[in-house]
Amino acid sequence: LLASPHYGERRARRWLDMARYADSNGYSIDGPRSIWKYRDWVIDAFNKNLPFDRFVIEQLAGDLLPGATVEQRVATGFHRNTPLNQEGGIDVEQFRVEAVVDRVNTTASVFLGLTLGCCQCHDHKFDPFSQREYYRLFAFFNNSDDPTLELGDPGLVGERSRLQSEITRTEKRLRTLDRATSEKVEKWEGGLSPASRALLPAAVQHILTIAINGRDPQQEEALLTAYRRTDEVHHVVAGIGQPLPFAAAAHAAALDARMTMERQLASLRGRLPDVPSTLVVNERTKPRDSYVMLGGDFLRHGESVSPGTPAALPALASPAAPSRVDLAIWIVDARNPLTARVAVNRFWQDYFGIGLVETDNDFGTRGTPPSHPELLDWLASEFVRTGWDVKRMQRLIVTSSTYRQSSHARPELAAVDARNRLLARQNRLRLDAEIVRDAALVASGLLNPGVGGPSVYPPQPAGVYAFTQVPRTWKTSNGPDRYRRGMYTYHWRTAPHPGLTVFDAPDASTACTRRSRSNTPLQALTLLNDQGFYELARGLAERVLNEQGLDDAGRIDRAFRLCLSRSPKPSEAEALTRLLHDPEVSRDARPAWTAVARALLNLDEFITRE
Amino acid sequence: MTMPATPPLLALTRRHFFRECGIGLGAAALASLLNEGRAAAADPLTPKPGHHAARAKSVIFLFMAGGPSQLELFDYKPKLSALHAQPVPAEFIQGKRFAFMDTFAKEVPKLLATRRRFARHGASGSWVSECLPHTAGIVDDITVVRSMATDVFNHAPAKCFTNTGSPQFGRPSMGAWVTYGIGSEARDLPGFVVLQSGPRGPRGGNPLWSSGFLPTAYQGVPFRGVGEPILNLRPPQGVDDAGQRRVLEAVRELNGLRLADTGDPEIATRIAAYEMAYRMQTSAPGLIDLSGEDRKTLELYGAEPGKPSFANNCLLARRLVERGVRFVQLYHTDWDHHGSGDVNLTAGLDRVCRETDRACAALVTDLKRRGLLDTTLVIWGGEFGRTPMGEVRDSVGRNHHIDTYTMWLAGGGVKRGYNLGASDELGYAAAEDRVHVHDLQATVLFLLGLDHTRLTFKFQGRDFRLTDVHGEIVRKLLA
Repeated sequence: LLASPHYGERRARRWLDMARYADSNGYSIDGPRSIWKYRDWVIDAFNKNLPFDRFVIEQLAGDLLPGATVEQRVATGFHRNTPLNQEGGIDVEQFRVEAVVDRVNTTASVFLGLTLGCCQCHDHKFDPFSQREYYRLFAFFNNSDDPTLELGDPGLVGERSRLQSEITRTEKRLRTLDRATSEKVEKWEGGLSPASRALLPAAVQHILTIAINGRDPQQEEALLTAYRRTDEVHHVVAGIGQPLPFAAAAHAAALDARMTMERQLASLRGRLPDVPSTLVVNERTKPRDSYVMLGGDFLRHGESVSPGTPAALPALASPAAPSRVDLAIWIVDARNPLTARVAVNRFWQDYFGIGLVETDNDFGTRGTPPSHPELLDWLASEFVRTGWDVKRMQRLIVTSSTYRQSSHARPELAAVDARNRLLARQNRLRLDAEIVRDAALVASGLLNPGVGGPSVYPPQPAGVYAFTQVPRTWKTSNGPDRYRRGMYTYHWRTAPHPGLTVFDAPDASTACTRRSRSNTPLQALTLLNDQGFYELARGLAERVLNEQGLDDAGRIDRAFRLCLSRSPKPSEAEALTRLLHDPEVSRDARPAWTAVARALLNLDEFITRE
Repeated sequence: MTMPATPPLLALTRRHFFRECGIGLGAAALASLLNEGRAAAADPLTPKPGHHAARAKSVIFLFMAGGPSQLELFDYKPKLSALHAQPVPAEFIQGKRFAFMDTFAKEVPKLLATRRRFARHGASGSWVSECLPHTAGIVDDITVVRSMATDVFNHAPAKCFTNTGSPQFGRPSMGAWVTYGIGSEARDLPGFVVLQSGPRGPRGGNPLWSSGFLPTAYQGVPFRGVGEPILNLRPPQGVDDAGQRRVLEAVRELNGLRLADTGDPEIATRIAAYEMAYRMQTSAPGLIDLSGEDRKTLELYGAEPGKPSFANNCLLARRLVERGVRFVQLYHTDWDHHGSGDVNLTAGLDRVCRETDRACAALVTDLKRRGLLDTTLVIWGGEFGRTPMGEVRDSVGRNHHIDTYTMWLAGGGVKRGYNLGASDELGYAAAEDRVHVHDLQATVLFLLGLDHTRLTFKFQGRDFRLTDVHGEIVRKLLA
């Protein structure tokens, strides 16, 4: 299992929660962003078993490593996952500072298990950290710029940027030539009679049926072209009752020039190589000054501060003018008592539902003490001793007899240890949102196991965007992308896929170090009625019907095994057989088997790790 | 409060099992588990007592998204009119920050008189402009607060602040805190419902009704006013009701067997969740079908069944509260009257007032005549107000303003026919009885029987609250 590429996916999804990964900018406009290369970097790092200390250093300071590779720069996307406010009328500095604050808080809670966010406004009330120390950490993160990194063959990247600037130039010339502004297009659109509308190409007529703010850039461009063409007809033929604005000859020349340019543009666009890009962090050559911000207010500067780490923790190895790399190295220094404990505690949490320290992001005085302190210490020291070998730690935990216990409830324990903190048995855990979908994909046999790549658009119910400021078009993926793992579903921050949210997927606003597991009627409605899940139930029905040489009982056994990895007990098989033959369901095989498949996909056991 | 006569959840579940599922020993084991009340204890929305006696049971928050101009609606300022077109006195804007700073940086902004006529209304003598004739008619049933103040002046963070007490996304919203604190009486509907009308959704989206770090069972559930009110409410295409019921019965039976086998109370919770899902499926379509309302009621609101509107949503809000839903939030967009295009203080404001005024007043009137106003708190207002200075854009408008603005409250333990607070003579800052957003939040929780300093959730080492470390209950507006 550890060698499977899907191991990396599984570990990565948990990490992406902490990285607050999403495919859009958040706040009100919530425009799209391209940062999936970072997501793929995380998957790859786990699959390659990149030692955890390297994993941390590259994400926090990959750009500052000597001879930084493209991969190491991609890794800095960790802190580019902060939301971005594109609203009009904002003070850009305010939101830049908010992003830096989020980077400090995330660094503290993800790597150190500390609640330093408290010190943004005042000294920590419980733990030994001052507000000044907070802003000394802030100073490490205050010197970066947030560029976009174009990826791929350097030749291609160069070619792309050359073509891109030529395109921009040509577009600009074209625009001055015909002055086709969006206002003009809008006006033209408003004045179109049904008759002239009908004369337009079908594709353009279709675009006109979409609300103005719901069109994507291609559609807008197509409309602009249509407008230009019609405009030409107006001028040259003067057939729609508009007077010629200037001499026909001059206009014909202009038209000629425009046609040439449009051809050029089309050819340029056609040659544009497809180069993916991602968001990265880059250190500024000229550092910004950092101050204590009084009351956390970015306008009220207190004392000036230089980068430094809290005094309560071991000192930095290189105290003179430390950079982000020095901070990263300090975080994974074996003398740092927190990093390894916090990391192994989260591994434990993933396998048992609750960590040895329940407050996985608070190892401070207000956190809960570990249930098994010696075990935590031992696991942490093993982690460091083995060179931060992540796969080895997974193996260590899942081969333990504690992990391999049965999860059946033991009534005699209820009074002694109701929450099973001492692990006298295993815990039953509801699957994560993405895995709920994956389990159904696997059972249906439809899963596309591809790893990585741009995010995809599986089916989602209509009406999701009735509640966003900017209406979105969700172009449901057809073909293989429709059946990708749940973790590849495009994440709009203001309107995430409802099938994910309903099963407690985090909203990517801030770092989520531990998901909650709720159990709600909306989950029932999703599994029961969502067209996406229904499609997978039909897939499962189809799959068992296509199995040769099986009778009904054999098929029920097969379907049951595909979903629950065990054979049904007689009472269970009987219930499903009754459903299969129920005349109220259907007398036809396909719908009857779909009903059986739906029942299986809705079982508590189906979405639970036993 | 009138509650539909639904048998208690457990009774229903047990009856189903015994009547329809004859599954022998497994059933007996399940029945005993359910009998012990574990399923009920595990239902996060079970009504719970608060910290003290509640004055309100439900909240309807009419969120006027974009920032309504108090100076055109409620805050009558003759001095501002007298100083029209004069530069704003320097001491007002010294060191202050505004949205769209660059437009103000070009030249000293000038004061802008309102073009709207104001009059006093009702026995309370409350000032309301001609824009809101219906609201003017209910002033004796409401408390108008003309001294609201907030901290942030961009839409998404300010909406987030009003809803969650923090400008940063990721905290639980008020509706989530409330249902976390006292659950919900509705057994076949979510406890926190969000409705939307206007040309587009509110800026900020999902995080505005998020449960943040609270369990997702407390997050707001968006309802649509037509078609399917809740996503995935209807069986998938190609499945009829009988077929759906049979699948549900099989699921219930198999889950019951598994429960008997493993003894995990989570399975009992899931069985209960499926029961409630089934009841939602049955009750929600009827809920949004307004055609059963009498003509007079429809006319009162200006509601037209089947045609989505703010009016329909107000009527729907009453129906939700009648069914025990704890927190209903209505968003109506397009109050952001900067004066760009037709989003201005003339035709733009007229339009949005026309869309909302009548239904807001109708809601209060309707709740009152049904005896629901005493237990329902109605809140009207946006994320901030607008500046006394005008903005130079295509037409007349005002900028975002956080130092003073107007909201109103009605019912649920709030004084009737009362005016609280006042702004200074230019309508620039709160001059009397300033009510900060955190104070409003503390007061809302208080009215629901919750102490805002004790309603906490431990997250990242800290006990978080809706009001952060602030908030004073606004005693003056309590009835």
